[in-house]
Amino acid sequence: MKISLRDITIDYDHLRAIDNLSLEFNAGEIHAIVGENGAGKSSLMSVLYGLNLNYSGKIIFNDNEVFWSSPRDAIQHGIGMVHQHFMLIDELTVLENIILGYEPDDALGFINFEKIQPEINALLKLYDINMNLNELVMNLSVAQRQMVEIIKLLYRNAKVLILDEPTAVLTPNETEMFFKTLRNFRLEKKIIILITHKIDEVMVISDHVSILRNGKLINSSKLKQTTKIKIEEQIVGKKLPKLNIKRGIIERKKVLEVESLKISTRFSHNQPIDLFIQKGEIIGIAGVSGNGQNELIEAILGVRKVLGGSIKYLQEDITYKSTRHRRIKGISFIPQDRRKDGLAIKSKVWENAININLNDKKFSIGPFLKKKSIKNYANQLINEFSIKVDSPNSSVITMSGGNMQKLVVARELSNNFPLIIIENPTWGIDVGSIAFIHQKILDMKARGAAILLVSNELDEIDVLADSALVMYEGKISNRIPKDIKFRENIASKMLSGIHFK
Amino acid sequence: MIEIFDPEFFSSIARLTTPILLAALGGSICHRAGIFNIGLEGFILLGAFMAVLGSFFANNAFLGALSAIFGGLFLSIIFAEFHLRRKGDPIVISIAINILALGLSTYLLRSIFKVSGVFSHPEIKKLPQIQLPIFNNIPILDLLINNQSILFYLSIVIVFILHYFLKYHKFGLWIRVVGENPEVLRSSGVNPVKIKFLVLLLCGILCGLAGAQLSISNVGLFVENMSAGRGWIAVVAVLLCGGRPIPLFFLIVLFGLVDSLSLRIQGLGLPQQITELLPYIVCLVVLIIVSYKKLRTLSRTIY
Repeated sequence: MKISLRDITIDYDHLRAIDNLSLEFNAGEIHAIVGENGAGKSSLMSVLYGLNLNYSGKIIFNDNEVFWSSPRDAIQHGIGMVHQHFMLIDELTVLENIILGYEPDDALGFINFEKIQPEINALLKLYDINMNLNELVMNLSVAQRQMVEIIKLLYRNAKVLILDEPTAVLTPNETEMFFKTLRNFRLEKKIIILITHKIDEVMVISDHVSILRNGKLINSSKLKQTTKIKIEEQIVGKKLPKLNIKRGIIERKKVLEVESLKISTRFSHNQPIDLFIQKGEIIGIAGVSGNGQNELIEAILGVRKVLGGSIKYLQEDITYKSTRHRRIKGISFIPQDRRKDGLAIKSKVWENAININLNDKKFSIGPFLKKKSIKNYANQLINEFSIKVDSPNSSVITMSGGNMQKLVVARELSNNFPLIIIENPTWGIDVGSIAFIHQKILDMKARGAAILLVSNELDEIDVLADSALVMYEGKISNRIPKDIKFRENIASKMLSGIHFK
Repeated sequence: MIEIFDPEFFSSIARLTTPILLAALGGSICHRAGIFNIGLEGFILLGAFMAVLGSFFANNAFLGALSAIFGGLFLSIIFAEFHLRRKGDPIVISIAINILALGLSTYLLRSIFKVSGVFSHPEIKKLPQIQLPIFNNIPILDLLINNQSILFYLSIVIVFILHYFLKYHKFGLWIRVVGENPEVLRSSGVNPVKIKFLVLLLCGILCGLAGAQLSISNVGLFVENMSAGRGWIAVVAVLLCGGRPIPLFFLIVLFGLVDSLSLRIQGLGLPQQITELLPYIVCLVVLIIVSYKKLRTLSRTIY
């Protein structure tokens, strides 16, 4: 079995997402496709899966040209896709999710659940998977949900598996298990297409690697014929500037102190939470997303109910103070979701350049804004943070993700507040902006800010943090000091809660 | 007290319940398919007019009901065109449909029948009433169930069919999925727009029948703005029950019961303005209880 894409070109309005790209996928091979966000990986796969029909070029399946009119055609030819955002319905059972679209039914169209259950159970046994088919998907862990997606493809008898960022949500241990399954598929001569941005995983699992940049194929070769450093350079297109890490001085003065904090979350049985941050220190909170990091931040900011314990900011007890009070007192916040929480994306850049609620006399007279001085200030930020935008009067929505994030970072860091709370600051942005934002965060630390950095990227914590804590199901670990085994220690705690105090 | 619970009390419950139930069943599949259809009022009204029109000209009540179905389908197709193809906001479209149905039925009433306000005529044939002999000797059930329009029986059958259909039929599963996340259905190779379109058509048929029940089952006449808020009650019932047919059935029967009761109480001398409020007050009370419960479950997880 063989699938080729020949001379594929995709145009979105004025943007060329894929530019005359040809690729070949062979049976029994794990083919990794790597590239930055927006390089065109997902666009390419949506062509192969029949989701995108507006392309030019050919899909060749076993030497014959094929045309998909919908994903159904692709599925019928044995192509299956696991999307980055799972295509599962929480309110339905595992079984209902698996058979969706291909229900075994009687003449009237009623689903024969009794007939199909043993069939799927046999499939589970074959691949040594443990799963209760009548459980609701909402009660499953992320790794289990991923399994449901895989079983869905097996049930449809898929021979080509397209996996879009499958390990982004898995712990290192779960990733290892997942790779074991993939290796089994390889033995069965399936085609496995792995879209990812984790190069370490590419090095471990793949046989063939293709690098995309700006919609073009930069290189496609056997893994043996390339190296990690080569791949990285091909992804970025240049060598990256080195970070200027000024270690600075950590003063023994606690800026934020969280003591036996209990929050209203589904993890409340694993609390309380204790942590502190000193002046000039970056504390990293590592862990797979969804383990209570977001809830902790919400509690510190005052948007989530606190059930007990205390939060102290510069000796002041702010546990039950309003969010506004906390922000005015000097807490900056860079949220993970810039489009939803960080910016008013339909508003203009200058309107997003200041925190209106902070009552800054520079920017307002009573309830009225001083438009001119805000615009000047916005211009200043644009220059200082090299934000690419036409003018302060442009809508935020016209900017790229990286520039949006720079705008949020510019606004929050320019307050020069003593405490900065940062949540996944480089999620989904280009490598150039990542380096820039990392440098700005380090500069703030050198100026004496206390920084709480929540990140799902181990690399980010490794580079920036002075010490780290791991969150797992709402539980928080002891401080992990920055030493030679920093990464390993964090990774091992991310495995599970068993290593905890 | 005995005066209130006279035979007419029991036999009027079905009459008051059926049109709302039929429309609400149509609304509930829309709700489950993620289509926010608050145009039920307009659907019923045009259905009621078309029923009278068909029954009058064809001289046959069943053709009248068929004509009502076409009235409902006509509005469904308008809804689908603007919501599914042109991606319009369902609330705006619903409001447009309510206004359109009111204007269109009033205009056609005046231009075809040359009357305003009410049109009644002996030529308007009524749907047959049905007797089930097994209930003849059971005191209250006889009043409740017997001698009702054929649509009453149909609507009860539909409640249970819809319940099993949503749970065990593949199309029912697709409706539930499209309501939660249409992209999931698309990636499984089923076109979500097609499903939504079929759901809208089904809703049009059910609402058309609701209109027929209103105008040609017990009375055989059309009054301007005849739906008189029944579509809105149906919308509220759908939202309260989350589009689940069986709870929907009980809620609407409760509503019909209170409605019927309010007519009785009026006979006892209470002012009409107050008794007519009663069904709406019940609606409000249920609404408050349900939202209170929802809030409590929510507050356990979120602030």
